[in-house]
Amino acid sequence: MLRLLVLVSWPHLRKHLLRTMLTTAGIVLGVAVFLGMRSANQSVLRGFTHMVASLAGKTELQVTAGEIGFGEDILEKVQSASTVGIAAPVIEAIVTPDIKGAGSLLIVGVDMTGDQSLRQYDLEGGDDTVEDPLVFLAQPDSVILAADFARRNNLAAGSQLPVGSVIGTKRLTVRGIMKPSGLASAFGGNIAVMDIYAAQKMFGRGRTFDRIDLAVKDGATVDACRQELRALLGAGFSVERPSTRGSQFESMLAAYSKTIEMSSAFALFIGMFIIYNAFAVAVRQRRKEIGVLRALGATRGQIQRMFLGESALLGVVGSGIGVLFGTLIAQAVAQWLGAFIADMFRVADQVEEVATNPWTLGAAFAIGVATSLLAAFVPAREAARVDPVHAMRKGEPEAATVLMSPVRVLSTLATVAVAGWCLGRGSNSAIFYLGYAATIAAAILLAAPLSWLLARIFRPVLTAFSPIEGALAADSLIRSPQRSSTAIAALMLSLALAVAFGGVGLANYRSIVEWTQTTLNPDLFVIPSQSLEARSIRFPDSMLKELTTVKGVTEVQPLRNARVVFRDVPTMLVAFDMKSIARTVKLRPVAGKVPDMYVEAAAGRGLLVSDSLAQLRQLSLGDTVELAAPYGTVQVPIVGIIVDYSDQQGSMMIDRSVFTKYWHDTSVDMFRVYVGPDVELSTVREDILQRYEKKRQVFVLTNGELKNYVIGIVSRWFALTSAQVAVAVIVAILGIVNALTVSVIDRRRELGILQAIGTIRPQVRHTIWIEAVTVGMIGLLLGCGFGAVNLYYMLEIVRRDVMGLHLEYVFPVSTVLMLAPAIILAAFVAALWPAESAIRGRLLDALEYE
Amino acid sequence: MKHTHRIQHLFTAALVLAATLRPVPARAADDPRQIVEESDRRSNAKSQRYEGILEVVDSNGKTTEKRWAFMRLGSHGTSKTIIRFTTPADVKGVALLVVSHPDRASDQWMWTPAIERDRRIALQDRSTRFFGTDFSFEDLEERDVNQYDYSLVGDEAVDGAACWKIQASPKQAKSSQYSRSVLWIRKDHYTMARIESYVKDTLARRLEYSDVREVDGFWTAHRLSMSDVRRKSLTRLTLSKVTYNVPLTEDAFTVQALRRQ
Repeated sequence: MLRLLVLVSWPHLRKHLLRTMLTTAGIVLGVAVFLGMRSANQSVLRGFTHMVASLAGKTELQVTAGEIGFGEDILEKVQSASTVGIAAPVIEAIVTPDIKGAGSLLIVGVDMTGDQSLRQYDLEGGDDTVEDPLVFLAQPDSVILAADFARRNNLAAGSQLPVGSVIGTKRLTVRGIMKPSGLASAFGGNIAVMDIYAAQKMFGRGRTFDRIDLAVKDGATVDACRQELRALLGAGFSVERPSTRGSQFESMLAAYSKTIEMSSAFALFIGMFIIYNAFAVAVRQRRKEIGVLRALGATRGQIQRMFLGESALLGVVGSGIGVLFGTLIAQAVAQWLGAFIADMFRVADQVEEVATNPWTLGAAFAIGVATSLLAAFVPAREAARVDPVHAMRKGEPEAATVLMSPVRVLSTLATVAVAGWCLGRGSNSAIFYLGYAATIAAAILLAAPLSWLLARIFRPVLTAFSPIEGALAADSLIRSPQRSSTAIAALMLSLALAVAFGGVGLANYRSIVEWTQTTLNPDLFVIPSQSLEARSIRFPDSMLKELTTVKGVTEVQPLRNARVVFRDVPTMLVAFDMKSIARTVKLRPVAGKVPDMYVEAAAGRGLLVSDSLAQLRQLSLGDTVELAAPYGTVQVPIVGIIVDYSDQQGSMMIDRSVFTKYWHDTSVDMFRVYVGPDVELSTVREDILQRYEKKRQVFVLTNGELKNYVIGIVSRWFALTSAQVAVAVIVAILGIVNALTVSVIDRRRELGILQAIGTIRPQVRHTIWIEAVTVGMIGLLLGCGFGAVNLYYMLEIVRRDVMGLHLEYVFPVSTVLMLAPAIILAAFVAALWPAESAIRGRLLDALEYE
Repeated sequence: MKHTHRIQHLFTAALVLAATLRPVPARAADDPRQIVEESDRRSNAKSQRYEGILEVVDSNGKTTEKRWAFMRLGSHGTSKTIIRFTTPADVKGVALLVVSHPDRASDQWMWTPAIERDRRIALQDRSTRFFGTDFSFEDLEERDVNQYDYSLVGDEAVDGAACWKIQASPKQAKSSQYSRSVLWIRKDHYTMARIESYVKDTLARRLEYSDVREVDGFWTAHRLSMSDVRRKSLTRLTLSKVTYNVPLTEDAFTVQALRRQ
């Protein structure tokens, strides 16, 4: 076996170096995208886990109540538990310091008088505490900075750090620098520690804590402590190990993870196609060689193993290179994804290094090799079946290509039937995905006959364009549809993927824009920080009355939104005045009666949920939802399901009075301000800003500004979609380059014959060019056609398993218009070198080629 | 009868160890426990005031200074104390309220005028340093005499004053960062002269009392020096304007009172 590889395969691979390289590139791309995307995702998750672990220190359990926090009284309750050793309160806020290029800074508020029992503040200068702890506590501007952040921004002990606060920019005084390890390494080293009570004031948190970190008393077990605290605090509190935050974060990122995994899977699938094509052509070319080997005594098994050995070799080389490229891709994607998720969720860590999990590396490598073997399996089997007598006959034409063998016809009909049957029974996930798989299989099987049909349709056009070369090119495609069908199928699949991703992105974008038009209709939005997602800084509700008295203001709506844990997953809860919102906003109902739903919700007898949440958590109108809060459990039915894009994982909406009652939280994240007709907006805006000047940090956005802000966030999310489209396009281009190169090389003898019977070189060159461009166009057409079907399935996947969103079907014409010239150009460029190679070689060599 | 003694109590009279001029019972002279009890008894005042200067000298010789006004109502296990910092400017107004309990750790609150907030100080890890000084929170607690076993090590003079040298070991039920302490109690008026505290047989802290003068019938050390042997740092407390049994009322020792400047 090894001897066959060395004596037969190796010289062949070396002789056809370009084809070998292109085939390997298919594996490289598949493995690189798979590893890159997966590692990027893992890096973000690992970064978060690292942050949690670094912040936790010796913490064994954490008491939380979602993102909202709880009153200070809970601390004494926790400390009174017999199994609690040390309990230290914490609040966290992510701020953007007023230093150019500083990025986000995580400020952790702790009680320095007790916190050092849980966390090590390893300060530069060898001390375990700040120079003067009493001054640190007495002066609310005190902060300890991580060394990394301090160095990056030229800060030292005694420096001033300007940071946005509830009362405007506050200049914090650096009173210590933490060594870059442990706590100081969290959040990519962009971390600061300050007194928790000063932080409460600075960020408008009232007398609340975000969580309590605790260590169990000596002699007690963590489980016993957890049970005692659960009984003591009630269902509104979660008492979990710090690592649980990691799994909650993971569930929040489910949509991102699934999208990324889909891209990876498609990249591998198309990579497999490229390899299949290369091996199928190789088997055709090497028929004579196979015949000789068989005549010399090689068994069918040996031939099959020889081809599989070649594919394994390419798989190993391609996977190895793919792993290297994948790490580079992961680096770029992880940083982007980390920054994006940090901005979106305000919780993720900054990704400093890419997770190089040996298991992931090993899996990527193994998948690459396995994909290569799987792709080569059918060609290898065909090679084993080659009849030596026929194969060794000089001039024996390649086996006649059959457009649709009976088996192929039956297979195609069967897959189409399965796909059609599944289409009407999509409520079952297994059937839906079976239908999707059958549709892909049907599309692949139909690629050859459809290519043939399109080639016939194109023939008159090509002939009109160039009578000789056009006819030759069209005839070549009509005569051997199987030869180019793999290239076309690979192109079709890649483009279908690009169309689907583009379509989902476009539909999502349009839906969100439409939602912003109907929901975000106030004239002005008053917010406490520049970032809407921050929620680190909040307003007191006393501002409601103050804003109402501003001249020209007709209505002010306070809004509070925060994630609470609903069925173990952090879920966005939005609290507002239902009556007021019902009067001013026309939320699009999916289920439930308007205005009854608002009346019921306003009276605290129900809540509204977004359609995405209803889909993802299997919620229906009338279902009772239980939301455990620190001060009781909200137990009300769903009275309305509406279209809402407040959060990607869906949202729940309750009346503000219910929120205040059960969470004891009256703070406000945003005031929606309506202004009377004929009132100058800029005047009202100025009035509001002047009213709070030097008293409170206030940002006033106009309707247009807020919408642009929201759309800006959405666009960032679609950057990921664009990256997916880009991957699909790269795969498509690689596929067509590979397939066309292989195809032209494969036809060297045929092209030699053309030259031998008098065709001049430019004619041969033009024939190859026209044929390549035609293959590109056919692939493009089929890609658009299958893309239209693929988009339907992708929208369904997004609805049922990724985001729960009902997105309207919109064919991404702009994506196709952008892709078309790129694909045609790629097809043309792909044909340049093989065409030159074919016509510049010795005629005899070409005639001998096989 | 329950007794507490204040081996190293900063806030209460432990830092100001005093002794009455009453005669010493003869049996106390050879019983270490009775010596400690007598020392405790002699410092029993209804109330106390003083002004303190706290100097912390770090291992590099850098010194920081703070001043405070101290007042205490009651003594031993039932005392209430308020310390209000007066200088420097960045800690001025910061106040601490300590309510001692004979049977458990004291309750403590801190008032921070800059944010107008009081906070409860949860003394969960009593080995933590007290606001950057060389005292730990445990060093500041009043200790129940009954929670220690005592043995008389011998006689030894400190700064020329004859002392009993007594070893105090926490009983099994008592949780302490220290494995044992050695106390030097002056024979002339039962005031503490020195305390050395050990962690696993290694000397961790040494507290020395000096400038002992009689004030209102109580022998009072006006200068205390706590050195952290491991950190090689030193904290000095100097007392002035010491008075005892001054008229103070309960309502001056509440969290509400803490907020009043």
